[in-house]
Amino acid sequence: MRSQLLTQIITNVANSNISVSQELPWNSGGQVLYLKNKKHFYLDEEQESREDFIKTLDKNDVEQKTITLNGYLTVDAKNQPGDISSVVANIIAANSVITTTIDNSVEVTTEIDNDDITYTFEYNFITII
Amino acid sequence: MSVINVSAGNEAVLVLADAVANANVATGAVTGLIVPQMQDITINNSTGIFRFKTLDNTAESAVTTPATNQISLNAVVDATSFFGAGNSPAADKLIEDGLFGASKAKTRVYFQVAFDGRDSGSKIFTGSGFISGLAPTVNMDSPVWITPVTIEVDGDFTESAVA
Repeated sequence: MRSQLLTQIITNVANSNISVSQELPWNSGGQVLYLKNKKHFYLDEEQESREDFIKTLDKNDVEQKTITLNGYLTVDAKNQPGDISSVVANIIAANSVITTTIDNSVEVTTEIDNDDITYTFEYNFITII
Repeated sequence: MSVINVSAGNEAVLVLADAVANANVATGAVTGLIVPQMQDITINNSTGIFRFKTLDNTAESAVTTPATNQISLNAVVDATSFFGAGNSPAADKLIEDGLFGASKAKTRVYFQVAFDGRDSGSKIFTGSGFISGLAPTVNMDSPVWITPVTIEVDGDFTESAVA
């Protein structure tokens, strides 16, 4: 699912001021890569959780699986790229590439630290198994 | 005191078949249809009451009338048990036709309900009746097909235990 989403994000932000990294947002020299490499989008590894959706007497319960992926993008807060709005919209829109879900949502939050602004994208894909 | 609970792996079991010999919780899915993925099951033995008033009494009198017996449940729709497995190889009609086929054909179904699993000693109710009240439903807040099932019992329940 991560590679599928990443491919779509690369397509959606092609020809913009933002690059998409294939790497995970790991630490380098004590600093996470998306803080070090501004204007580079990083997509973290999948997190999976399962919970009972329907409990049944014979224990053949129906489960709900939620896959969460976090993406990170840091840019200069004072001089944001001129196309940042469309970049954010296109990164959000990439979630539509995942089609086998019953619920598909994205939440974007921002955090300003010194002169950097970090966009955090939380993708949630819910399926029934 | 002996509480019957379903948390110890001995769940409530409902077996349906088109012949009384096939509706047997001990033989289970080999001879009949075990209704899978039930969310709940209710056995209703409702004795009818006729009330009347007389001029010489300050309270109503009551006499019993025959009971209405019914089994109702809600289950996740399983394609095989709901639509049937077909007749190859030939099996019990409930296995072949499924819940929907048996309801549509108004097939008389024989049932056993086990209170405490299929092992020896589990209390069972036996009887026969007709499937009714199928109403599969799904929506985006609950995106799995679920259906109520009612068995309108013809006659009485017979109480026994798994041998």
